[in-house]
Amino acid sequence: MKNTLKVERAINSLTQEQLAKKIGVSRQTINSIETNRYVPSTLLALKLSKIFNKPVNDFFTLEEGE
Amino acid sequence: MNLKSVSECEDRRIQKFINFKLPNYFKKIGWAGFILSFIILFSTKLLDGDFSVMVEILKRLLLVFLLIVVMSKEKEEDEMIKSIRAQAFSFAFVGAVAYTLLQPFVNLTVSLIAKTEKAIFKDLGDFQILWFMMIVYLVVFMKLKKRA
Repeated sequence: MKNTLKVERAINSLTQEQLAKKIGVSRQTINSIETNRYVPSTLLALKLSKIFNKPVNDFFTLEEGE
Repeated sequence: MNLKSVSECEDRRIQKFINFKLPNYFKKIGWAGFILSFIILFSTKLLDGDFSVMVEILKRLLLVFLLIVVMSKEKEEDEMIKSIRAQAFSFAFVGAVAYTLLQPFVNLTVSLIAKTEKAIFKDLGDFQILWFMMIVYLVVFMKLKKRA
């Protein structure tokens, strides 16, 4: 699964630290999601969706074969 | 109380037990106690005298302090840490089972090759298995956390 979290974060002028605080995780977790090393839970994805004011599908997409 | 509510109550209790973690400062207490016990245990090997009872107590203390480290929360305990923790636990569990089953054969083979007098098949002790399991857990947890 790939994502455009970094782009969305830039659009909303948020640092990793600020976004992490808003959704109650560590900065390391945000970094791991952005670099596709960690796939977040539905709860976290929905929290991100709320922050970015966009549906989850807009910034999380399945890769071919998934 | 009907059967459904009893089952829900049990589920909640199990969940509470599974999610139980000690506060982060216990990690420092655990490491300090572990190092201290290790130093004392090591010193008994260098000194003359019968320390067999003390050694047994120290071995158990080592395991207790390691367990405190394992059970302590990270500074920021979020869902990624929980996921890493679950992976490390599962790896340590499987590793410990494999170690318990295979190590006695390895020991026997080495003894036979080296032709030592005491080449007997002997199962591992509880201390060895628990020690191995917790050390593997901690190493895997730290490695996965660093990589994340």
